Amino acid sequence: MHGLGELEAAVMEVLWRAPAPMKVRDVLDELNNDRNLAYTTVMTVLDNLHRKGWVDRERDGKAFRYEAAVSRTEAAAKALREVLTASGDPEGALLHFARSASERETELLRKALPRKSRKT
Amino acid sequence: MTVAAALLLTAGLVGVLAPRPLLRLAARDVDPTLSIVAWLASAVGVVATLTLAVALLLVPDHGTHLLSRMHDCWSYLEHGMTPSVEAAGGVAGLVLVTALLARLAVVSARAARRRARTRREHLATLRTAARQEPGSPSTLWLDHDEPLAFTLAGTPGVVVATEGLNRHLTDDQVAAVLTHERAHLAGRHHLLVAASEAIATVLPFLPLFRHAPAAVRALVELAADAAAVRACGVDAVRTALLKVSQHGTPGTALAMGEDAVEVRLERLAGVRRHRSPLLGRVLCVAAGTTAMALPTVAGLGGLLVLVALGCL
Repeated sequence: MHGLGELEAAVMEVLWRAPAPMKVRDVLDELNNDRNLAYTTVMTVLDNLHRKGWVDRERDGKAFRYEAAVSRTEAAAKALREVLTASGDPEGALLHFARSASERETELLRKALPRKSRKT
Repeated sequence: MTVAAALLLTAGLVGVLAPRPLLRLAARDVDPTLSIVAWLASAVGVVATLTLAVALLLVPDHGTHLLSRMHDCWSYLEHGMTPSVEAAGGVAGLVLVTALLARLAVVSARAARRRARTRREHLATLRTAARQEPGSPSTLWLDHDEPLAFTLAGTPGVVVATEGLNRHLTDDQVAAVLTHERAHLAGRHHLLVAASEAIATVLPFLPLFRHAPAAVRALVELAADAAAVRACGVDAVRTALLKVSQHGTPGTALAMGEDAVEVRLERLAGVRRHRSPLLGRVLCVAAGTTAMALPTVAGLGGLLVLVALGCL
């Protein structure tokens, strides 16, 4: 699971840098500059990314050509939307830097202020 | 019976009355971690006192003359005599306490599973879009103009930050934000929040338990702020907090959220120098132990005073 996520990120990186749509073989060659992956692995990853809407593909002869469906910036916005608008966070999986707090929480925070500054 | 009743009474009283002094503790210029520890320890203390009270009900003559009464106990069993009222109460209590603890275990485990799943899904999404900066914890940088930062729980946890931080904040303000986030991970704040959520779910009838999640969520922010202040100074944290909260995501940043930030800002205005980490830890242990033992000690102490008054 962890490994696959990392591969998806690496494949997107390759597609974002590429000037034109790429075949699985092109992506594999690019990735295998610094690792040793099987053709089918990369094909599966590209398939997954296509299913999740991260990449577009078009048929070119017998193979597909893949390109990023969204720019890096759009991908970031999409990821943030998915993560941050997930309904609530009752289990505390996420802690924000400057997050919207519940009314109750704000009230407790107020009480936790030193008396001196509470009056001002 | 009397001892058990006194313990039950104080457990209830602490459960109702403790939040106020605990918040007052948070208002003093102490490390917010101390308040979190005291709050959670009080909760544990109340549960422990309830358990002790039940256990005492079950022991014939409340264990005061345990040895001399062993014989009686045996004869009760041997002759199949009807158990006394307190023993019946004890059994009922035992069932109740066991059920509570079992439910707590189930609720915590279920929440932990959900948390792990959420984290896995979020991480998969974020990783695809982000540039990963290795480190401990590693940071995922997203190409997004709005300055944002948050942490994902887990082992190891990750800090997620946007390029917007680098665009809109100075270097030391970015450092303040990242230090704040890393403090959440280092302090296992996600676990503290999860624990408080679990006890509030299981025991919502006492304010000490009911308000625990809000209090802990609020206090972990203050604790992380304090860590950031120690590393980067008050000004960097204040300005970072202002800039990030003003950029609030439309739709997710509510007016209330800005209120909470305002309180954090006000609190930052009054931050003083912090004591040594070792002393801090010693104080934490002391506060935790005191809070945990308080319900039992108060119950027994109160009873002793009553006995003393009665005999005079």
